[in-house]
Amino acid sequence: MRLLTKTTLWYLVFALIMFTIGGLIAMSMVRTVVNRETDYELQQTLREIRNAAAFENGLDIFNERNSVSIRAFPKGQVIQPDTILKDTFIYLKRTQRVEGFRKLITNTQLEDQFYHIEISEIIIEEGDIISVVSWIIIRLFLFLTAALLIGNFLISKNLFRPFEHLLKSLDKFRIKNNEPLSTMETKTQEFQRLNQFAEEMTNKARLDYQNLKEFSENASHEMQTPIAIAQGKLELLLESPQLTEEQLSLVHTTQQSIHKISRLGQSLTLLTKIENEEFSAKQPVNFSDIVASNVQNFKELGQMQGISMEDKLAAGIELQIDPILADILVTNLLKNALQHNIEEGWVKVRLTEEYLEVINSGEPPKLPTDQLFQRFKKNNQSKGTLGLGLAIVKKICELNGCEVDYSYAEERHRLRVTFSH
Amino acid sequence: MKILIIEDERDLMDNILAYFSAGDFVCESASSKAEALDKLGGFNYDVVILDIMLPDGNGLQILNHIRNENPDTGVLIISAKNALDDRLRGLDLGADDYLTKPFHLSELNARIRAIFRRRKLQGQTVLQYNEIAIHTSNHEVLVNDASLELTLKEYELLLFFVTNKNRVLTKQAIAEHLWGDNVDYLQNFDFVYQHIKNLRKKIMANDGKDYIKTIYGLGYKFTDK
Repeated sequence: MRLLTKTTLWYLVFALIMFTIGGLIAMSMVRTVVNRETDYELQQTLREIRNAAAFENGLDIFNERNSVSIRAFPKGQVIQPDTILKDTFIYLKRTQRVEGFRKLITNTQLEDQFYHIEISEIIIEEGDIISVVSWIIIRLFLFLTAALLIGNFLISKNLFRPFEHLLKSLDKFRIKNNEPLSTMETKTQEFQRLNQFAEEMTNKARLDYQNLKEFSENASHEMQTPIAIAQGKLELLLESPQLTEEQLSLVHTTQQSIHKISRLGQSLTLLTKIENEEFSAKQPVNFSDIVASNVQNFKELGQMQGISMEDKLAAGIELQIDPILADILVTNLLKNALQHNIEEGWVKVRLTEEYLEVINSGEPPKLPTDQLFQRFKKNNQSKGTLGLGLAIVKKICELNGCEVDYSYAEERHRLRVTFSH
Repeated sequence: MKILIIEDERDLMDNILAYFSAGDFVCESASSKAEALDKLGGFNYDVVILDIMLPDGNGLQILNHIRNENPDTGVLIISAKNALDDRLRGLDLGADDYLTKPFHLSELNARIRAIFRRRKLQGQTVLQYNEIAIHTSNHEVLVNDASLELTLKEYELLLFFVTNKNRVLTKQAIAEHLWGDNVDYLQNFDFVYQHIKNLRKKIMANDGKDYIKTIYGLGYKFTDK
């Protein structure tokens, strides 16, 4: 629900409660005023009667009225004077209904005689007051609602425009595009602050992303050149005729370590590049061909290690993926299967419409299986592997919406990549 | 064979120069774009080794220049970038080959000679090493004038040895030459021995000498000394 709709609804609920309470108060006030006015009328009539009593037969015109009854006490009888006011119901012949009346009953002395006087005055019915008050309240409420709706429309059109604009551009913002966030001029202080904040955050994010990207490129370059130099020097050193066997072995070990540093740098750079989505050229790729050619290459390498490789590949499987990533994915899976194998072991590769599966013989995993996809988590420290291959596989799968899972049973490791199509 | 090395890293250039000084190359070097263009204007080179990341301009521009001005010169690009688009752009512009840092000097040597054979000799060349003759045009190997039946890998191995004769070749350099980057997961390259053994056996069956010396724990050297 939109913010404005929400605040409006709350406002209306609140207004409804307030209007109800206001209506009740208005009703009771009207009631009070009406009663006071009626009582005043009754007292006024009584005063008129007192004035009229001074004249001969002055009371007769009052007795003709339905609303007044004057009864004289016998002459000389003394009555304690008192006056009461009360509400009562009287059947009216004229309207054929029982109506509410206010009645003044008094025993009083007029001139030299005591009288019992009753004066009644019709009062406005409760129902009439209620209907009039609610009529007013309901119309007021409807008017307010209409005014609010129009107000909202104007607010969202004008006042909230910078906000809506910001939301839209945040929606469209892509860190990779390296375009600044577009915001709208506004005089509203809160929106100014929001715009400023969003701009600062996105600029920072873009800058960080660019730096990271450049760093990963530069790291590769800056690292590989000194490595290339060191490796070349060692190669030249090997040419020296007077090296002893021990010295040769030292050179050789150094070469291997340098080689490992180089691979480590390349793999980490690759991982960063994948994370930065630099390989985003998704296109239809004949995945069957990629798997087949890689299996062909690794079959030969496997054979030399004494590991046999079997494959059962469905033809013409097509995936939406960057071809470079597809190749890296398959290569890493196959390398992993050959690496964590046993002597005289085997690898089985299976490709179907739904998944690519690589099963290989091997010793039970020494790591909790959920850690296998983490960086630098190695099952076998001694083998000198980098521990990045499966992390790369996982990252590629995440990026392309595939699932990768691992299981081990009966001395066989199984890695399965399930496609999302 | 005349070679120009365009590389801004002095140490890396020294490595290449030192390695090639023992061979039959005439090597010259340039460490900037200006110097490179200067030398390219004045002399003819058979092969240019080009680092595409130079301080005063992208090496790809030099490549462009060579393709326009010296179409007969072979170009091998070396780069720290393994960004695949650079590789493709390099080859599109007409580079003959591409090598990513770090590389084995023996591999660089083999690649340069391959470029030279393809370009200058149109593949028509015989590499002679005593009684062994390698006809690179049709992948034929003769030992004492008798043809040798070699697998593709054995042929490539022999060619690698002969182009890097008298040099120490580590098992890793051999493995990477024959099988490419895919072998990087391996911890030991002892399987190379199988191919060495087969090659040695086949040469000796034709009364050839055993030129492949084993350097214990390290690799091999092809030499008659």
